[in-house]
Amino acid sequence: MAELSLKGIRKTYGSLEVIKGIDLEIEPGEFTVFVGPSGCGKSTLLRMIAGLEDISAGDLTIGGARMNEVDPSRRGIAMVFQSYALYPHLTVRQNMGFALRFAGVPKSEIDRQVMEAARILELEPLLERKPGQLSGGQRQRVAIGRAIVRHPKVFLFDEPLSNLDAELRVHMRFEIAKLHKKLGTTMIYVTHDQVEAMTLADKIVVLRAGVIEQAGTPRDLYADPDNQFVAGFIGSPRMNFLPAEIVTQGAQFALRLQGMEALFPLPALSASLSAGQRVTAGLRPEAFHRDGDTTVSLAVEMLEYLGGETLVHGRIAPTGDIITAKADAKDMLAGQERVRVAFNAADILLFDADGARIR
Amino acid sequence: MSPRLLRRAGSALRYLLLSLAAFLSVFPFFWMAIGATNTTADINKGKVSLGSALSANIASFVAAVDVPLILWNSVKIAVFGTALTLLVSSLAGYGFEMFRSKLRERIYAVVLLTLMVPFAALMIPLFMMMASSGLIDTHIAIILPSIASAFIIFYFRQASKAFPRELRDAAKIDGLREWQIFLFIYVPVMRSTYAAAFVIVFMMNWNNYLWPLIVLQSNETKTITLVVASLASAYYPDYGTVMIGTILATLPTLFVFFAMQRQFVQGMLGSVK
Repeated sequence: MAELSLKGIRKTYGSLEVIKGIDLEIEPGEFTVFVGPSGCGKSTLLRMIAGLEDISAGDLTIGGARMNEVDPSRRGIAMVFQSYALYPHLTVRQNMGFALRFAGVPKSEIDRQVMEAARILELEPLLERKPGQLSGGQRQRVAIGRAIVRHPKVFLFDEPLSNLDAELRVHMRFEIAKLHKKLGTTMIYVTHDQVEAMTLADKIVVLRAGVIEQAGTPRDLYADPDNQFVAGFIGSPRMNFLPAEIVTQGAQFALRLQGMEALFPLPALSASLSAGQRVTAGLRPEAFHRDGDTTVSLAVEMLEYLGGETLVHGRIAPTGDIITAKADAKDMLAGQERVRVAFNAADILLFDADGARIR
Repeated sequence: MSPRLLRRAGSALRYLLLSLAAFLSVFPFFWMAIGATNTTADINKGKVSLGSALSANIASFVAAVDVPLILWNSVKIAVFGTALTLLVSSLAGYGFEMFRSKLRERIYAVVLLTLMVPFAALMIPLFMMMASSGLIDTHIAIILPSIASAFIIFYFRQASKAFPRELRDAAKIDGLREWQIFLFIYVPVMRSTYAAAFVIVFMMNWNNYLWPLIVLQSNETKTITLVVASLASAYYPDYGTVMIGTILATLPTLFVFFAMQRQFVQGMLGSVK
């Protein structure tokens, strides 16, 4: 049975609907990441699970019990906030034990639990300090510690790393992944950073404008996106999209990229196509190689040297569409005005005019 | 003029203005202290040096006034009035900022509008209310009307804008009820706001004159402000004695201000950094 399930969840403010019917099952121990652009409703959805926002319609169950109207403290959840939300007037020890104190847990038991969490997170030397005396990374660990002490069924993380600098973010990401492995607890994590989503998640839920665009493993979402939005959102740098047209080639359909002579025979697709149909072809920057069945020449606009690889931003003659290709940094591209890159037609993903994937 | 000379002249002018301002604000206190040591005749002559009448003035003040009683009356009104005002008005400010409602801004506008009504306009209806409740000549009549202070509600609502909402969310998840969030999270986090409000409200209550003058009618209920004023408005006021009373009336506010000066400044700047 699912640890947490959302059925037809909706959220409306007056006449404005921000969550438009979410159905989702989260398995015990699963690390689920809600990802999407600003304003997609991912944080609202998390706050509804936490009980900080009312649920306008639908059912939320945690551990099999319906939780719609249950008090946040009785839902078996713990939450880590973006701003950490540590009580500034209390020490680290008091912050971590605060919930237990209000639950009427005896003092010796609180001490034991706090010490246990402090040991896991290596916070022992900081226990008597106040949050104002801690660095960003330490505060983040205390916030996680406060959550651990509650022994929740589900951990909720609301963009917990976005206030940290780049280096610390990578480190804390690793820490959270380790923690999940150690505790094995169900975790729901909200972020707008798709790298965090890809690295942490067992399951990624991509949201846009209050609906789930796609939910699946990072690998599924990357390799087999359901639509153009997901294809563009997952992967960095983002997928190149080129206008294209379906043409007939003998008895078969083929694809012609706008401005190119070459035709790409299409494999048998389940979708019904028609000649002359306008589609969008998606090709990831990492689909470009030195060799492949198709070669294009790019007029170099900009090169980004990243050490291990080089990003080539170039225009395709003659349409002028800019595409990004990843090239091996060993290829000496600097100073070149034109670069030839190759790809395999099989790597092209097709999307119809509405952005839905053509499979 | 060379730029250096100009700079010097500017700084001299600045010091001159500041000295003038300092003189204007400090001189009354100086005059008060000097006056307390002189006889009325000397004060009327404008004597500005220490005299030898201090003990005589103290003796005549103590003889004229029941000092412990009026001090106790003043302290009681100031302390209880301030505590209740802070509790009720900060709760209102918290509520106005934390709870969303369609009517919120309208009610708030009405509260702010009461700031525009002069006290003189409220005096008579307020007096009638107190009279019909049998509260005339009691300290409750002084404390009650000031508890819900529009200014302090406004002050706390503004300060609450800096109170992180995620703290309230975190406290809810930790299992706190709203009143517990207020008491155990909001109040300690906003303590310098409370300190600043305490200084302001304490001084307002301590110096309150007009309303107590109307309501407090027997000598047993009067505050020090009233007593000093009545000494000063006699046919032949004994200024030396009046100055002793003035010093006694000033000291507590000075003490409160200097004791809380740091928190006062911090509270005016905002509790949450």
